[in-house]
Amino acid sequence: MTGLTRRHFTSLTGASLAALAAGSLCAPRAFGQAKPRLVVVGGGPGGGTIAHYVAKDSEGAIDVTLIEPQKNFTTCFFSNLYVGGFRSLESITHTYDKARAAGIKVVEDTAAALDRDKKEVVLAGGGRVPYDRLAVAPGIDLKWDSVPGYSEAASQAMPHAWKAGAQTKLLVERLHALNDGDLIVMIAPPNPYRCPPGPYERASMFAHVLKSKSHKSSKIVILDPKPAFSKQPLFMEGWEKHYPGMVEWQDPKTHGGIKHVDAKTNEVVTDLATYKAALVNVIPAQMAGKIARDAGLADQSGFCPIDPASMKSAMDPNVYVVGDACIPGDMPKSAFSANSQAKVAAVMIRGELSEARTFPARYSNTCWSLIAPNDDVKIGGRYEPGDGKIKQLDTFVSQKAEAADIRQQNYKESFDWYAGIVADIFG
Amino acid sequence: MTLSGNGRWIAPAVLMIGGSDACAADLELGRYLAAECMTCHRAATRTSTIPDIFGRSEGELTAAIIAYREKRLPNPVMQNVAVRLTDEEVAALASYFASAHKP
Repeated sequence: MTGLTRRHFTSLTGASLAALAAGSLCAPRAFGQAKPRLVVVGGGPGGGTIAHYVAKDSEGAIDVTLIEPQKNFTTCFFSNLYVGGFRSLESITHTYDKARAAGIKVVEDTAAALDRDKKEVVLAGGGRVPYDRLAVAPGIDLKWDSVPGYSEAASQAMPHAWKAGAQTKLLVERLHALNDGDLIVMIAPPNPYRCPPGPYERASMFAHVLKSKSHKSSKIVILDPKPAFSKQPLFMEGWEKHYPGMVEWQDPKTHGGIKHVDAKTNEVVTDLATYKAALVNVIPAQMAGKIARDAGLADQSGFCPIDPASMKSAMDPNVYVVGDACIPGDMPKSAFSANSQAKVAAVMIRGELSEARTFPARYSNTCWSLIAPNDDVKIGGRYEPGDGKIKQLDTFVSQKAEAADIRQQNYKESFDWYAGIVADIFG
Repeated sequence: MTLSGNGRWIAPAVLMIGGSDACAADLELGRYLAAECMTCHRAATRTSTIPDIFGRSEGELTAAIIAYREKRLPNPVMQNVAVRLTDEEVAALASYFASAHKP
């Protein structure tokens, strides 16, 4: 695999000729420069995967820098299992030690701005990191004002826990402080948002905790701005089976509209009712992370359009955007999707920076959701570029009334998947 | 233990591929396709639900992938992985994992 084959020779010659013809401005690898440079902004599922795959597969030919402000990264995926008591927070928290060992330069700083003209990332700490290609994977930011009365400050009283870590810990502390008869209100987010089945898995985990504490009359009300949600028949069936009467989902026709929340009184007001809750979990509307929006990589939707054949930004040929910040066509915003998109981007980046062979983009996703102990359901799909977007070709979803051993197998499988994907992301 | 946990699928699928020629398999293509598999399989152990597929024989790997492609094995995640793979891609994947070591 290391020999210079005729194909490699041809492509090298072609690239060199193109570089000569176009001048070094357009050449990904300028003559005299030691190594082409990939800089990755964001060390989550998308960014971590790109950094690892480019570093590994380029075998040192590409200089890879990963910019991530957090020393330890707690994954949002599986954080519901921490809420339910199935995982510890430590077990879903990862370091970048293995990334460093893999030859990736990890810069523990916030990317404050992207200077796309100069092809440099401006760090909050003051430095600038030049790149030949940039991969942007900042995840989501929350639209605080999408729920009237909600704010970043209010999230201390009404946690969102849609970015994992301190918020998730706060949510769990509040959950465990509840008394029998208390009310939980969850405000679910509008589309598109990170982890489509996530709010409903979380409601299941709330119910599991309350049930295991022998609560008889506690209640969970989900106020949803959407008329339907992911895996809805499966969750509805599971709630009825495991937590009868405890979980109530209201669509917009039922609640008439979410008017406002009051973090001081813990009240949630809809068109038809006022709820005085012991715990309010507000999951606001979402948009691409600030760095991507500030750099002009997002469109009016708040997310970043990409070329579905490469994950390259539609706004800048030197930039790739993967994960929750991008517009993924038919794919859901999930860690699995981000990891899948990152592998396509990694191949295309290597193709541009080191003349590596590229292959047609192919994407896949699976999302597991835990409803109750050993009752886990899954949904997934296969995708390729088509009709100007990442287009769904095939899909599957768990069936209602499945055998218990299938659901238990799903649960075990999800743990094995977690072990695999975090090794893909964090090394 | 077989990949599928069900050895009866192995023999016919190997015949279908005609005992794939290791020299003909495209290992670079295999590595690219294998990246999708890594998400779930890279941390697999002998006891995990998701099987350890590194270093398995090409015949065994080929048989399992084809059985999933034809939905003769039940897991929808694996059916979804295999559904669009061509024979050439199956051979490339099998060849790659037969020679690959777990990272």
